Amino acid sequence: MFLKNLDLTTALRPSYLPDEDLLFVQDNVGLYEGKYKLPNQQNGQVYLTSHRICYVDKTEPRKYSAALDLKDIERYEFYAGFLKSSPKITLVPKANKRASLQPSRNGNASPAQRVDSPFRAPPVDTPPASSATWVCTICSFSNPVPSNFDPTTASEHTSLPPCLACGIKPTLTHILKATISNATSRQPGGGPAIYPPLPDRSKQGSGSTAPATQTSPSPFQAADASASFQCPRCTFLNHPSLMSCEMCGGPLISNDLPAELMQQRRETDSPGPVLSSLAPKSEALESVKISFRGGGEKIFYERLKGSMTQRKWLLQGAPPIPKTSSNGLGVGSGSGGGAGGGVGSGGGQPERVKIAGIAGLEQRGQSMRKNNEIVIGNAFEDLEALMASAKDIVALAETFARQVKGAGGASSGSENALLAESASQLGLIATKDIVGSGGGGDSLYLSELARTLAEFLTDDARGVLRKAGGIISLVDLWAMFNRLRGGVELVSPADFEKAVNLWDKLGLPVRLRTFKSGVKVVQGRDRTDETTIRALLAWMQDLHNFPPDREVAWDWREFGRGVTARDAAERFGWSIGVAEEELEMAEERGVLCREEGIEGLKFWENFIDTGEGASRPHPVKEDNERLMKALKESGFL
Amino acid sequence: MSTTPPAPSDSSTPNNSNPKTTAGTLLPNDTFPFPREFFFPPFFTRQTNLTTHHAQLTKWSSLLLAYCRHHRLFRLSLNPDAIPFHNPRINRRLAPGDIRRVVDFLRKDGRAEYVLPLGQTKKDGTMTTTARGGGGEAGEGGEAFIYWRTPEEWGSLIEAWVEETGQRGSVLTVYELREGEGTRGTEIWGMDGDVLVKALGTVVKRGKAQIFQSGEDSLGVKFF
Repeated sequence: MFLKNLDLTTALRPSYLPDEDLLFVQDNVGLYEGKYKLPNQQNGQVYLTSHRICYVDKTEPRKYSAALDLKDIERYEFYAGFLKSSPKITLVPKANKRASLQPSRNGNASPAQRVDSPFRAPPVDTPPASSATWVCTICSFSNPVPSNFDPTTASEHTSLPPCLACGIKPTLTHILKATISNATSRQPGGGPAIYPPLPDRSKQGSGSTAPATQTSPSPFQAADASASFQCPRCTFLNHPSLMSCEMCGGPLISNDLPAELMQQRRETDSPGPVLSSLAPKSEALESVKISFRGGGEKIFYERLKGSMTQRKWLLQGAPPIPKTSSNGLGVGSGSGGGAGGGVGSGGGQPERVKIAGIAGLEQRGQSMRKNNEIVIGNAFEDLEALMASAKDIVALAETFARQVKGAGGASSGSENALLAESASQLGLIATKDIVGSGGGGDSLYLSELARTLAEFLTDDARGVLRKAGGIISLVDLWAMFNRLRGGVELVSPADFEKAVNLWDKLGLPVRLRTFKSGVKVVQGRDRTDETTIRALLAWMQDLHNFPPDREVAWDWREFGRGVTARDAAERFGWSIGVAEEELEMAEERGVLCREEGIEGLKFWENFIDTGEGASRPHPVKEDNERLMKALKESGFL
Repeated sequence: MSTTPPAPSDSSTPNNSNPKTTAGTLLPNDTFPFPREFFFPPFFTRQTNLTTHHAQLTKWSSLLLAYCRHHRLFRLSLNPDAIPFHNPRINRRLAPGDIRRVVDFLRKDGRAEYVLPLGQTKKDGTMTTTARGGGGEAGEGGEAFIYWRTPEEWGSLIEAWVEETGQRGSVLTVYELREGEGTRGTEIWGMDGDVLVKALGTVVKRGKAQIFQSGEDSLGVKFF
């Protein structure tokens, strides 16, 4: 399993892939490779998303962060910790993909080069997407096993489609049995058995439930004779994928295995980005352990399980999750995009009749609307289901936005953009739910919130800081941020302020600044008072050169002209409050002086205090100094 | 005097028709060369920044002293509508509170004193005898003595003159000092009565003179 390099955003969080959702964050974790600690990756945060597990180091985030894909994980184990040893989760990588003989059950034809197996699965009559079938125990109708069903990761939570004829849901073990038997019958030249051995597998190893499968197993297996394996102790011909002999129980080493192992060893010897200084990898598979020194391992484990079963990384463009209500299998109903249309066509597939003309359009519109209703109804029933069907909702929101935009005109355009953006951010916000609520949970939530805020501010696409002239007041920022949250998990002002105060500590590129009057603003880290003052002065110097609009009584060439807060706000793009504060700050530094007239408060370059006062000596002091000098010269001092 | 840099030449500005001297600008009907700051609008607004405020007060003080010295004014009416507290060219005035602040600043240096109405006791204990003028500290338009030359300095000046003209030991009246023939041509001639008395008072304190009442309304002084 490779620990890959990780891309970080400006706020030092992992940058997510397009469809990735954040599931859990936990700080105070360390990484192990096999049994040994990885030297530089012992203190950091782990982010669990639907596609990956990311580790962001605390001390040197850009150098030592790593990620590993969930699709590379074979299995995961939980170790609850004992005395001084902290709880750990072990992630065992899959065997080498290229030589992987795991059948492409999902229908994704990964080019499985079966180097050692002489056979290929013969073309089957059933639809190529799923060749495994299971027999219903009630009505003995053979149903196809859904294509995304994987016996290794199936658990009680996997949704199982009911029987097509009688509608009864099968048990998990039943389907497992069917899948495995199918797999074994399909592939004679199996690699090392990776699936957990089932109790009754030995029975199915040789025999097969002939009526269950629609492929032709018996002639297939008979022709397989040359590929079965002879036990070294009792010479019984075992199935090649068995690990122990059926008769005598002795351990079997398949004649295919050495090749397998060698290939694996080659794989693991290839240079990964993580190299411990210890002995290079030996024959054992190198697992990666995450050690939870701050708690949170149970929730992490649960969420990991959930995401492994859901396997969202396969869903890019895959059809939506099969709906049990409309038809038995949604598999095979093409279109993944355009939820309304896709679902509509999928749902209406059995009864769709080609009606041309306006009647057809009307009917299509009606069925679309009906499906929208169903989708929305299902989604909002359960919040978790909402997260799962977020993709559908997003597509729906986009279509609505487009419609409204077409009707409403330009004024509501920006709001619609916000709507669409907010919908797509449903999964990527830091909520209290995502972060563990353990002991240090609150601080972790705040630091995550701080990072989200920093990303939000420095996001170039939105240009929040840029539009506000590089500096924005805290209240405005809070309002904008909550508006974008869209009513889900709003941030309270207290939390907001606490998170903002963490910016300096976390070393993020934005900072909070408090003016003398107590107004708090947010600005980029590189803007200091000096740069602002320089900009102000440069602008005011320019005013010396341009004549004012109307006749003024004073010599503008010499003095320039006074600026109001409004002028400054216009010029720099600040808000009025911020402009006032900046001008007052400059006045405090002695760079500007004020003038209060009938027109209001104006600020000028400071020609009053031009540094002459410092040089003008006080007369009494001068006398004293002269006296001292005289005394010194005459030797009295 | 105020230490202002020389003003730039104004041949190009059409609205500035007054000639400028090396020290400042002239206003119409006035011969005093005003410094550059006098035409700077913020100069008439009280600054909040302490450093700037101090600089502002300093510059105002020097302006007043210079102005009074130039016109030989011994007392100044603290009227916001009159020069030098008002600049008609840029139409800005110094507020009464700020005027008072400037005068207080001068007082700290010993360069100003409020003119109290008749009959009140001044700080040094002597009674006001000839003071005129309105309200004094309270209300608008008080007056203040602006000592562009302190009474001590006046005292030394008078003493020097007495020494020069060899009138040590003779008796002189105050009136004589002020408007007599002997002082014509010196700076003492035309002095304000109160200031002169104050000046003589300082000489008395040093023990070089003696004041006595000679007649109902006049004072005499004898130098030793």
